[in-house]
Amino acid sequence: MSKWQSDFSSKSEITVTYGAIGSGGGIEQITSRTVDFGASDAPLTEEQFEEANSQGEVEQIPWALSGTVPAYNVKGAPKNLKLNGEVLAGIYLGTITSWDDPAIAKLNPGAQLPSTKVTPVYRSDGSGDTYAFTNYLSTVSPEFESKVGTATQVKFPTGVGAEKNDGVAAAIGQTDGAIGYVGLAYAASSELSVPLVENSAGAFPEPGVESVEAAAAAVEGIGPNNEISLAELPSTAAGAYPISTYTYVIVPLETEKAAEMKKFIEYAITEGQSYGPDLEFAPLPKQVVAADKKAIAKIGG
Amino acid sequence: MEAGALSNPVLRARRNLTDRIGDPLLRGLSGLAAALAVVVIAGIVYEVIHLAWPAIQQFGAGFVTTNDWNPVTKRFGAAPFLYGTVVTSFIALLFAAPISIAISIYLTELAPRRIMRPVATLIDMLAAIPTVILGLWGILVLGPFMRDTIEPALHSVLGFIPIFDGDPSAFGYLTAAVILTIMITPIITSVTREVFETVPDDLKEASYALGATRWEMVRQVVLPYSRSGMVGATILGLGRAIGEAIAVAQVIGGASLINASLFHTGGTLAAQIASQFQNSAGLQKASLAYLGVILLIFAVIVNVIARVIVQRGKIEDFQVTETEAAAL
Repeated sequence: MSKWQSDFSSKSEITVTYGAIGSGGGIEQITSRTVDFGASDAPLTEEQFEEANSQGEVEQIPWALSGTVPAYNVKGAPKNLKLNGEVLAGIYLGTITSWDDPAIAKLNPGAQLPSTKVTPVYRSDGSGDTYAFTNYLSTVSPEFESKVGTATQVKFPTGVGAEKNDGVAAAIGQTDGAIGYVGLAYAASSELSVPLVENSAGAFPEPGVESVEAAAAAVEGIGPNNEISLAELPSTAAGAYPISTYTYVIVPLETEKAAEMKKFIEYAITEGQSYGPDLEFAPLPKQVVAADKKAIAKIGG
Repeated sequence: MEAGALSNPVLRARRNLTDRIGDPLLRGLSGLAAALAVVVIAGIVYEVIHLAWPAIQQFGAGFVTTNDWNPVTKRFGAAPFLYGTVVTSFIALLFAAPISIAISIYLTELAPRRIMRPVATLIDMLAAIPTVILGLWGILVLGPFMRDTIEPALHSVLGFIPIFDGDPSAFGYLTAAVILTIMITPIITSVTREVFETVPDDLKEASYALGATRWEMVRQVVLPYSRSGMVGATILGLGRAIGEAIAVAQVIGGASLINASLFHTGGTLAAQIASQFQNSAGLQKASLAYLGVILLIFAVIVNVIARVIVQRGKIEDFQVTETEAAAL
């Protein structure tokens, strides 16, 4: 975002200021129109939409794409353990409690697995990563969906909550047997062991910009508010990483600065995407850029 | 020279002028400042209640006893956090009050002057450590130490008591309570130290003259004389412990259920607000504000108790001096 900000300002002579204040405050400020746009790490909930639409309609446009990556710290376990959705759901539901659980052993034939207790770590603050992770687990596990559900903040039945990516990473690093999830950019810069998660094609793609891009390219469905879930991947997409999500920009349709807003979002979803890979963001797939352009056209009537 | 200046009619006239303007100006400005404080407090109370209103309407008083916090099902309750706040603050006080009083006795009665100054300064500096840093230290150092050393020891000796039962964990009530102890010890120490310093030397000397040992003097003169001050200092620390959010949020483990084991993860009112408010909307935001209302009520109660105790102490002290006067 800060990259877009400076780059766009220098190219268009329109100054963009952006502050990270959390989605709650962001929606409030969009509703009261004290800001020209907001960004959210997860599609707005019905409740959030109601609030944001209460003073005139807003448009939600996906404009960035990134992944969420599990990470673990288990002494004596191999790097890049293979895991799947059922195992991750079992860990976060508290039904898989030790690292030598048969379900984990089955995915890692021949691997030495210690009997260390599993400590799941989650974000205690609201987070787009929690959204991506719970959305994925709810898709693969009906039990997880009914017991926990999908949101930026959920109630996990077991485990340890930590603040922000670095809190989660610190908690994992300090606890033998811990597993958690962090943003792709954060995982790339930390030294935590990252498991390979099975996708619907039965493959174990390495998490990264390419595999996130492959996942996004494989999903055609776009919701009525341009929301896109990347949890349900077609079984043909062998290279697709299963846990990724879009970040959305929220703009009021009626705004004095419609021309500038259109320019900025247009820039973000086209030119701006070229900065993504350096920051572990994947470029938007064609069908999303096309849908975004239609949405941009609605701004300003 | 001064008299000459006063009798100078020009100067007198000028002084009268500043007097005429100065007094009302002072009254106006200081009154305004006082009014501002009142307005700000009233504004905050109004705003928090206003924000909490949807949750107050939805959950009513049952909110306080509901042992749940689920943003997905939209069922919110304060019980897990009320419990966490009470438990962590109480344990923190249990540790911090005796430690602080011991430090203060040492510094005021026992330590050589050369040691007293630097130690007192260091303890005050402990209060200046940003709470985020303390929390980080809690995650990286204290938490693992609690999990690997303290909690297993407690468990093996006292494990039959439910609060010491359960798996040791780096994150939980006990780790948070120890962090709070470290945070409030300097405050309680610095107030009790000042209170101990006000004990009149003649009382202490009189005690020594009667053949008291140093311990007897402390027990019979310093402690009784400072009782209300010590209670006031402890309540001040309690207020701080109840309100601390960031460091607690970092180490308590963000769980939203009551758990008997002190080793288990939990939450407190302030920590829950701090970690979730930014990204909440609708009923969840209102419920967080409702937690804020409860926290406010809590703070007011603690403050009132402190005032009552300190006030009563003052009256008692006064009575002591009166009887002393009568004896003389």
